[in-house]
Amino acid sequence: MISDAIWQPLRLSLQVTALATLLLFLAGLVLGVLLARVRFPGRIIVETVVLLPLVLPPSVVGYYLLVGLGRGSPIKDWLGLDILFTWQAAALASALVGLPLMVQATRAAIAGVNPSLESAARTLGSSEMGVFFRVTLPLARRGVLVGLVLGAARAMGEFGATLMVAGSIPGRTQTLPLAIYDAVLVQDYALANQLVLLVTSLAFLGLWWVRRQEENGKPRRRPEPRKEPEP
Amino acid sequence: MNGLSHPQLRADIVVRRDDFHLKMAVEVASQVLVVFGPSGSGKTTLLQAIAGLVTPQTGTITLEGQTLFQREEDGPQVDLPARARRVGYVFQDYALFPHLTALGNVAYPLWRKPDAHRRSLDLLERLGLAPFVGRYPHELSGGQQQRVAIARALASSPRVLLLDEPFAALDLELRRQLRGELRRLLAETAIPVLLVTHDREEAIALGDVVQVIEEGRTIARGEPLAVLGYPPQSSVARLSGVENLYRGRVISRADQEGVMVCRVAGVDLEAPLGEQAVGQEVAIGLRSRDVLLATQQPHGLSARNVLEARVTALEAHSPGVLVEVTSGDLTVRSQVTQQAVTELGLSVDKPVWVIIKASSFFFVAP
Repeated sequence: MISDAIWQPLRLSLQVTALATLLLFLAGLVLGVLLARVRFPGRIIVETVVLLPLVLPPSVVGYYLLVGLGRGSPIKDWLGLDILFTWQAAALASALVGLPLMVQATRAAIAGVNPSLESAARTLGSSEMGVFFRVTLPLARRGVLVGLVLGAARAMGEFGATLMVAGSIPGRTQTLPLAIYDAVLVQDYALANQLVLLVTSLAFLGLWWVRRQEENGKPRRRPEPRKEPEP
Repeated sequence: MNGLSHPQLRADIVVRRDDFHLKMAVEVASQVLVVFGPSGSGKTTLLQAIAGLVTPQTGTITLEGQTLFQREEDGPQVDLPARARRVGYVFQDYALFPHLTALGNVAYPLWRKPDAHRRSLDLLERLGLAPFVGRYPHELSGGQQQRVAIARALASSPRVLLLDEPFAALDLELRRQLRGELRRLLAETAIPVLLVTHDREEAIALGDVVQVIEEGRTIARGEPLAVLGYPPQSSVARLSGVENLYRGRVISRADQEGVMVCRVAGVDLEAPLGEQAVGQEVAIGLRSRDVLLATQQPHGLSARNVLEARVTALEAHSPGVLVEVTSGDLTVRSQVTQQAVTELGLSVDKPVWVIIKASSFFFVAP
């Protein structure tokens, strides 16, 4: 049987990662398309801001969120969303830190789709939405998935920003990385060992899957049209 | 032929880009119009403007009386999006969707139509692609890809079909084979076709009317063999290369020997056996580099055509000299080196012998 000491943070981590992944997917897709296909002033600034969480200390990202979600912020006062120190806040923090990986991969995958295929779809009667969902996205799906898995893996490992906006409340906001820190603090090394092995296995599985996708993707270069005699 | 039928597609547009200015007018009736011009002359841009993929600065495009695009100094502005134009566009690289099978590609424009599957299968079958419906584009040969692209364009029930260099992705042998097939196919579809190419043989083989453009401007228009066979304008001749093209009639066939005699401009020429019957008209081509010249009557040659002729013109044509000779009413252009001109002492009015192997002739139109 899995003890509560393992099960509770695992369940919370899965819950937080699931919501974070959904947020990553939506925000990453919109930003990826915007950066790959639309030329607008300030594009490079937007791209840089999206990349910032990759290099900022997590405590800085956490601080921005704390201010953005706390008293006096539009999200709390106007929308009435009070999510500080809940698992939803942990998901938001995790998503933000995973976003750069998702956006970079998505942008590259979408930029790699031959624009004449999209033009062809338009002449065949597709609306812009139809072009995106029937041509662009299916052709970019490998890159989008890789970005999503990398982003999700990064989100699952989030520690610093989560601690700042959600705390480390056992059973409510204490995810696997936070539980490991707690276990070490109270010198429960048996528990710490188990949790560390669990996190390492999950991260390994994610990265292994990404590498396998990239290997499979290699021979998919566009082959020259075969030149055979016709019947 | 031109002007007898009411034009279905009319485009009169100006497209300006940084380094490029296209001003062009085309009219397509129920026929195949070939726009012929060198690379970079704006042929693809013309098609893209008609399809709605490029926006002209000014001009008008109408199809079956409907205005697709209009932008003038004053007056109403119209710019129908590409998806609403019902213009079939076959891209130069075919632009087949790599993630869909042949069937999936053809069914693409029929999305959410109840009989999409059956109609796509019918179209693929009509184009002789029934065995390949489940293959992905990269599993098809170039010729098969071309036909899938045409089937996909036809599946969108277009009112006009645009073809951008349909053979550019194929090698020379395959081009000659597939030309006849495409010609039959275009005749069957019974919708107006606008095809652009820089290949003269292709223009003659596929076009009912040809329009020659250079630097975005029309410099000649008319029946293909008349415009491109012996171009009266030197500019057209320069654009179209130096092949010899003739219209003649089959005089006799020697099926067992694999040759037939065609009378061209009063001269009987032996050519390889074609499908044409005796008395039928043929259009035949001959590359200028396949024509030999001699200053004395040759003996003991295997070549089947040896004609007495006279030099009428010499023209520098890199990497050598283009010699024009006439035998009776027949004019032949021969490409020789500068050295040969000097050694043979070729000059205007000099009597020469023209030597052509029967197998050097090729049939242009099916």
